[in-house]
Amino acid sequence: MPHSKIPVDLILSKLAEDTEKAHTRAQKASDVLLGELKTELAQTPYEVVFQEDRVKLKHYLPRTEIKYNTPLLVTYALINRETMLDLQPGRSVVERFLNAGIDLYMIDWGYPSRKDRFMGFEDHIDGYINSVVDYIRATHKLEKINLMGICMGGTFSVIYSALYPEKIKNLITTVTPTNFDTDKGLLHVWMKSINVDRVVDTFGNLPADIMNLGFLLLNPARLMIDKYIGFMENMDNKTFVENFVRMEKWIFDSPDLPGEVFRTFIKDCYQGNKLLQNKMVVGGRQVNLKNLTMPVLNIYGKYDHLVPPEACDQLVNKVGSKDTEDICLNTGHIGIYVSSKYQEEFAPKIANWLKERDQIGPPPTAAKRRKTTARKPAAQAKPKAAASQPAARRKTARTAAKTGGKKTTARRTTAKTEKKTNK
Amino acid sequence: MNGSKENSFDMNEAISAWMKFTADVWGPMVSQMVNQTTDFWSEGTDKPGKGFRSDRSGTTKSQAAMSAALNNWQAMATALSSSESVDALLKGSGAMPEMLLKLGQTSYSGSLQLQQKIIERISRLGESTEAYKFEDIDENIFRMWTDIYENEFRQFLHVPQLGLLRAYQEKVSVAADKYALFQASLSEFLRLLAMPFHRSMQVMQEKLTEMAEQGTLPDDTKEYYTLWIKVLEGHFMTLFQNPEYVETLSRTINDLAEFVAARDAALEDIIGLLPVARKSEVDELSEDIYELKKRLRRLERKSQEQP
Repeated sequence: MPHSKIPVDLILSKLAEDTEKAHTRAQKASDVLLGELKTELAQTPYEVVFQEDRVKLKHYLPRTEIKYNTPLLVTYALINRETMLDLQPGRSVVERFLNAGIDLYMIDWGYPSRKDRFMGFEDHIDGYINSVVDYIRATHKLEKINLMGICMGGTFSVIYSALYPEKIKNLITTVTPTNFDTDKGLLHVWMKSINVDRVVDTFGNLPADIMNLGFLLLNPARLMIDKYIGFMENMDNKTFVENFVRMEKWIFDSPDLPGEVFRTFIKDCYQGNKLLQNKMVVGGRQVNLKNLTMPVLNIYGKYDHLVPPEACDQLVNKVGSKDTEDICLNTGHIGIYVSSKYQEEFAPKIANWLKERDQIGPPPTAAKRRKTTARKPAAQAKPKAAASQPAARRKTARTAAKTGGKKTTARRTTAKTEKKTNK
Repeated sequence: MNGSKENSFDMNEAISAWMKFTADVWGPMVSQMVNQTTDFWSEGTDKPGKGFRSDRSGTTKSQAAMSAALNNWQAMATALSSSESVDALLKGSGAMPEMLLKLGQTSYSGSLQLQQKIIERISRLGESTEAYKFEDIDENIFRMWTDIYENEFRQFLHVPQLGLLRAYQEKVSVAADKYALFQASLSEFLRLLAMPFHRSMQVMQEKLTEMAEQGTLPDDTKEYYTLWIKVLEGHFMTLFQNPEYVETLSRTINDLAEFVAARDAALEDIIGLLPVARKSEVDELSEDIYELKKRLRRLERKSQEQP
């Protein structure tokens, strides 16, 4: 008897096995889903040391001795929330920076409401970021601080550093779009044909739900089907469910995007590609990338579907600095920050790079331009002995967030010490 | 001729006689009734509880109005009973069927023309689609519907509105129009999004047939899903780069914005009746505050820069 080409018996047998597994999984899943789940985000303690309107400045409480002379300010995008850098204990870029001894500040842009629809690039860059930078400079009695920007926050950081090079010691850009004249990413294709004036004039701010729908439509097969199939297959695994729900919380915790920011981002950047051509004007001042004379570290993802490498890799060639480094990691837009594997490479690299450029005065290394692609995980940062002065100075003004510290007065606004809050 | 005229029924005389008879009979009867009613109202003055009057003249206002109407009717009937008036009336009656016919013809013709246009457009569906190419049929159906709506129905929503409430009605009509256009774009957009699913199923069938022929069909059901999701993802990626998709996406977003703007404009009229601020008013206020804060910030910065 000839052997059948279609293994019907095996398929049916496997199907029966799968059905039984699914039944068992469903029973366990009910215990997991009905039980207590730890899905909180942003667990690392911080205090809000400065606030202007809805914008807050978080200062993370040191976990170890501060080993850097210069504090680091992280500027996240206005799309989604900065909590992505601190997803959970053990999987947190913030935690890694603190463990390395970095004195860390981060901007929380808050949730723009309809009254913020008129807030544009100038208000966010020349206004909020400048206020925050000045506050940190004044607090630490420093002329310059380190600035790290993420995605759109990176674009803001580039513009800010070009407008105020005298205030920035080192600039780090991660998954930062600066070249918009490419068709590699779908966003770059789609945004070129959108009637941004019609959208902004109607909606005021760009509604987060529309933005999220747009992001889901970038890959519906994976993001709307396969992801949830994966969840169904693992919903009896408590750790998996907790991680999954935590990511879901972060993904859909989206503030609306201020209308005028969206208008400028689309018209001047996506449609005009003005930044790289030094044609962009913010607050009446031309943004000249040649003003970026400070060391620049530019990190991006090879498989980034939102900000493809082509959108990032031209920056270092356009800046005025001779101390630049380009790093392309074998991961995507979010993977850089949330994947344990790439966190081990990403955070220590930044810590080491900053440490090499942390001394007061000119950098010790000779002027250089480097380009690295798909690096293997770097060794853990081993910084030298801590500079005691900044740490001692900070002790005078800080109290733990969870114990309810005293208020610190900031320029123009009263800083509020508060527990970690999301909304 | 004369003989026939003498023998024939004279319509003018008959109507004239009827009008005169009506005026002569009903006139005095109604007049009598009015007088009796007047007496009834008048009695009320002497016998409380039986009748009543509303003014000192002894007649009610309604009574006076009735008398005036009766007099008018008598005068009209007398005037109409004249031979000249009857002639005119008969001529008018003769024209009535003609007028009704023309009215009917116009409406019927308009309706027929509209139907004809729709039929013409629907008939083009067949002309512009190729045999066995079902995708084109789907595509054309959405486009033809949009076309028909824009050319045939849309005008009804743009008929000039008149009167006191014309501005409000106009906004509602514009909102309805924008909604219809948005629905058309959305339908087309959803059709495009559904295409990768159809195509993936076709590709899956082909691949499974091929694997079955080669005897390489996997026994693990998960592998079928993995294969399908990869094929689906590939189709989506191809679709998303397609200029037609990009154009449809852009048009859908634009039409959504147009509809929301039109809807808000209509709703603002209703909100204006309520004791709450309109969105546009809040926006204006926010803009004023924004500008003031900006000026304040600049002044603050200037004052800090000055020694």
